[in-house]
Amino acid sequence: MKNFKYIPAESLEKASQKKDDSVLMAGGTDLLGMIKDDLLTPETVINLKSLKELKNIRYNAGKGLEIGALATITELAENSDVQKRFPVLVQTCKEIASPQLRNVGTVGGNLCQRPRCWYYRGEFNCLRKGGDTCFAVDGENKFHCVVGGGPCYIVHPSDLAVSLLALDASLEIFSNGKLKTVPIDDFFILPEQNETKENILEPGEIVTKIIVPEIPAGSKCAFIKFKERASWDFAVVSLGILLNTNGSTIKNGRIVFGGVAPRPWIDTALNTKLTGAATDEKNLKSLADSALLEAEPMSKNDYKIILVRNLLKQALIDLSKN
Amino acid sequence: MANTKFIKSEFFFEEDVRESVAEVPVDKHQPWPENEKLKVVGKEIPRIDGYDKTSGTALYTFDINLPHMAHAKILRSVWPHARIKSIDTTQAENLPGVLAVITHKNIPEIKWFEDSFLFDTKIRYEGEEIAGIAAETEEIAEKALKLIKIEVEELDFTVDPGQAMKETAPKIHEGGNIVGGNPFTYERGNFEEGIKNADAIIEETYSTQVVVHNPTEPHCSVANWDGDKLTVWDSTQAIFTVRGVVSRALNIPENNVRVIKKYMGGGFGSKLAGGKYTVIAALLAKKTGRPVRLTLDRREMNLAVGNRPDSVQSLKLGAKKDGTLTAMSHYAYGSSGAYQSGAGCSWPFRTVYQCPNVKVEEYTVYINAGPGRPFRAPGHVQGTFAMDSAIDLLAGRINMDPLEFRLKNYAEKDQVYNIPYTSKKLREAYEAGAKAIGWEKRNKQPGVGTGRYKTGIGMGTQIWWGGGGPPAYVTLKLNRDYSVEVLAGSQDLGTGTYTFVAQVASEVLEIPMERISVILGDTGVVPYGPPSGGSVTSPSISPAVRDAAEQMKQKLMKAAAAVLSLKENDLVYKNGTVSSKSDPSKSIFLSDIMGKINEPVLVTTGAREANPEGYMIQTFGAQFADVEVDTLTGKVRVKKIVAAHDIGRVLNRTLLENQFHGGIIQGIGFALMEERIIDGNTGKVLTTNLHDYKLPLITDMPEIEVIIVSEGDPMISNTGVKGIGEPAHIPTAAAIANAIFNATGVQIKSTPMTPDKVLMALSQNS
Amino acid sequence: MKSKDISRRKFIKNLGGGVIGAGVVLSHKPLKAEDQPAKDENKQNLARLNLTVNGKKVSLDIEPQTTLAQMLREKLKLTGTKVVCNHGECGACTVLLDGRPVYSCHMLALDAEGKEVITIEGLMEGEKLQPIQEAFVKHDGLQCGFCTPGQIMAAQGILNKNPRPDRLEIMEGMSGNICRCAAYPKILESAIAAAEKAE
Repeated sequence: MKNFKYIPAESLEKASQKKDDSVLMAGGTDLLGMIKDDLLTPETVINLKSLKELKNIRYNAGKGLEIGALATITELAENSDVQKRFPVLVQTCKEIASPQLRNVGTVGGNLCQRPRCWYYRGEFNCLRKGGDTCFAVDGENKFHCVVGGGPCYIVHPSDLAVSLLALDASLEIFSNGKLKTVPIDDFFILPEQNETKENILEPGEIVTKIIVPEIPAGSKCAFIKFKERASWDFAVVSLGILLNTNGSTIKNGRIVFGGVAPRPWIDTALNTKLTGAATDEKNLKSLADSALLEAEPMSKNDYKIILVRNLLKQALIDLSKN
Repeated sequence: MANTKFIKSEFFFEEDVRESVAEVPVDKHQPWPENEKLKVVGKEIPRIDGYDKTSGTALYTFDINLPHMAHAKILRSVWPHARIKSIDTTQAENLPGVLAVITHKNIPEIKWFEDSFLFDTKIRYEGEEIAGIAAETEEIAEKALKLIKIEVEELDFTVDPGQAMKETAPKIHEGGNIVGGNPFTYERGNFEEGIKNADAIIEETYSTQVVVHNPTEPHCSVANWDGDKLTVWDSTQAIFTVRGVVSRALNIPENNVRVIKKYMGGGFGSKLAGGKYTVIAALLAKKTGRPVRLTLDRREMNLAVGNRPDSVQSLKLGAKKDGTLTAMSHYAYGSSGAYQSGAGCSWPFRTVYQCPNVKVEEYTVYINAGPGRPFRAPGHVQGTFAMDSAIDLLAGRINMDPLEFRLKNYAEKDQVYNIPYTSKKLREAYEAGAKAIGWEKRNKQPGVGTGRYKTGIGMGTQIWWGGGGPPAYVTLKLNRDYSVEVLAGSQDLGTGTYTFVAQVASEVLEIPMERISVILGDTGVVPYGPPSGGSVTSPSISPAVRDAAEQMKQKLMKAAAAVLSLKENDLVYKNGTVSSKSDPSKSIFLSDIMGKINEPVLVTTGAREANPEGYMIQTFGAQFADVEVDTLTGKVRVKKIVAAHDIGRVLNRTLLENQFHGGIIQGIGFALMEERIIDGNTGKVLTTNLHDYKLPLITDMPEIEVIIVSEGDPMISNTGVKGIGEPAHIPTAAAIANAIFNATGVQIKSTPMTPDKVLMALSQNS
Repeated sequence: MKSKDISRRKFIKNLGGGVIGAGVVLSHKPLKAEDQPAKDENKQNLARLNLTVNGKKVSLDIEPQTTLAQMLREKLKLTGTKVVCNHGECGACTVLLDGRPVYSCHMLALDAEGKEVITIEGLMEGEKLQPIQEAFVKHDGLQCGFCTPGQIMAAQGILNKNPRPDRLEIMEGMSGNICRCAAYPKILESAIAAAEKAE
């Protein structure tokens, strides 16, 4: 690895005043890979883990859950309030990477990790690295996006992003000396906005907290991740679902897809159809079949659309049962 | 050594038939009885290197750290095909901490593959070696790599064998892209006639992917010169091969090269060849006057140290209504990589089933990618996948049970050479395996199941040589204190060589395992033995160990006869003591014999006897897979594999099971997830880490049942052992493919059978 | 379903920029001038690290980019910990950090400041194997042995958390460790045996 200076962050203020050639490190599980692969060549690595206050996980009845951005995935999964009230997050955590990485990787880091696209990670001067070309388009695009792409066709790698978006979470961001709160839906961006980053963070901005509202009474949640290998694998596709049914109809709900787009994806047309939809199997099937109608698959990834629809179908049926 | 003679002996190594004249013992030892009657051999004995490997003390080449050692890295091509115009190493040389830089400009020309050199100015694949750097630390060496300036002329490239075969494709070598210029062909009977006589004909094309060995320990070498004498620690499956390669490359006599390998972190065939990295380490060590360690990283291992070639196989098979195969043809091509390797995969097709009319034509094709190397049963894994998939399809055409179909076409003798087998218990394997998997539970009609998860059962047949043969020698040293050292010219890849060598010696000499130590993997010390590949290690080495131990026993008896003034034929050996049969009061312990004859250490050398002439030695087996296909996702879960095999005598049941588990789970990797992927537009490999290149994890393993249907095969050798490393791996993918077919009614014709392929096949079928 | 043809305009940002193919991407990156180390760059950049390794307090100066695995292997000569992928993808480098398994190849040594690291060597009591190690020997939970220290540390990590884990917990806990020899059935058997013996 390239030589760099290492500074434990003294405070959020100091950390955010970093120079351009400095990088902020949370768990470091993604960052070190980036440095090892020469995708980043920082002069200084600022370790945020010294900011202990960013590790807290707090639950307030009625208000919901606050997850410090530096809480590890394991800490989130083992928190008793989370286990009791947000089992979908525990479910999500168990699907992330491997036990060893969950012991080190943080919630904030999981949301801010860079894409796994093999062109981006490899020796290709691709769009996301400031080059001219997305090599996936007429290349090996089996794992790339089917919707929301262009000019770059990555998929967003975070599992927690999918669940947290389904739960309508917000992020607290330290920005220019102040804290601001942003709905997670507004946090992630598409390549058409900026193909070199996946979220709105500007240099020096730091995600400090994830705020998850209470799951509305009567709602059911699920996170489903499909991966090629039984463990330690990124999502081929994933689903985060929040569903509130009222006997034979869906009162309201939210469906988020992972692995299909350069950001956790909300299929607006599909989500609009949820409210008031009948929960008989036939209707749920046709609902699921209407997912990703706007998708534009590439040469090797049209299977993802079938996969999403099949998994959604099953999930909706399962969640609609009592 | 005892009385020997030189005779002709055939020996199969990987895919090659090696006919040689070999020195073999004149006296053969009585075959052993079945394992039940043996004390040590065949038993579940923990491996003797278990302590070293679980305590962290086992020293691998990767761990060797010599005083004043320098570290080397190799600069590799980022281009798939190019000609080097200039190299400027000035900046790299000036980097503080850099000790030496070598390129084609400052070392003598060293011939390597075919028409190429150690550092060639023509680059034929991404990852090819361009320069070597030695520095104070690995990090400095890595930094220096980036300071070498290279100007190249980029050439058109081809990374697809089908495309590379075309006349218009960029030529990788002067002679064109077909290795050897011509296909391999084989014909027996009259294929066209056979097809005419068929009631059912199928014609299908199957394809398999390139997979990479990815052993855990990187390919690495440590080189250290003492004047003219070079010592190399190398992570290798073949110490004598490495010694030869290094000695030829550096033009120094073999006695000046000592190659040492004590422990190694796997090889699977990728460490059978002498590597450029070893020679580069030696050159840099010479140049710096310091020991040099050169370790490849995971990326380099996925680019440059071998792979299993891919294949495209077009098969045409015909059978009569009663199941009799009438004709089979196999047209195939596969990629060799940028240099010569073997992509042939037709051997199982030519020989597993009885068929009078067979035609084969196969091409090995150069492409601009890392050259292939043998990978656990070269050719057989891909060949068996296609062959047995086609067999199931054909059996279905005539509504015949696929197992019954196979039994109908059971080959009683070798189909290619038309000679008998020394032993063949495939029928027993079929029966035992079918029973264990519950063959009768399979879907009579493929795909009849309903619901999200569909289950199915399928099978594949295995054939592989694995008989070993001479030359293979073992030196046995008996110490006066009733302890033993056995030296064998072999290497333990994790397969258990250390352990079975000790077991065989212990069995014969009746000396406890704890008092036997085994020394392998040191050309300066051990007698010659074959490379550890081709599943030849245990069938070649174990008889030589027995021979050495039996000789030792005879030596002790002779000495005792002299010491006790008794006739040799009146003596009996038991647990280290020689006593008189006629007068049991007359006995003497081996320590005392050795004392009397003033020998602190007695030495014998044993050899592997010749293989019988006019017979074919093969291992056989069948694997049965029980799988579950998730029809919503296309994900295949292997629930259970039953492996029933004829592999001669079992030397150690625990180690054998472990080998089978490994072979089978690697088979699952090949069948369902592993694949080297090259970007066609740039010729660059995309799967260079262990996330993009997916290896099976503990969560991917099925239940596995291993059934051995054979006892020792006395015609082969005095231990009757056949190899198991490769047989364990060969039929797994075929069995899984057929189980998927049985579950879904859809045949997946290309490996890896990943969810996307299965899902698309299912959706197109529905 | 048929793939729609994606117009090239959509993925080529700058039409005048270049062609798709080898030419534009492949070059050995020249190192930027500022990347070229000054003579004593490394010395300037040393950082102090204090931690406990295998029960002993350790204090040393290291280059900040040193991974925990490098520090253990190269500085402390604890070569039992292996590096296989060097990217946190295989588990061979697993050690316990404050009792929990982590990939030592994929974290900075400096991130272990003030913490307790246990390596395979640290499990030993002198020359004596610990129960988890004995279980791996007895049940042959290994072949080539190169991933074994990592497997054993991952298993020990599971036992640290729950001395009586069930089969599923063990499978999950071991799912971050690749064994290319694929000795998995016996690795699982070894871990289960150790769990059954644990008090």
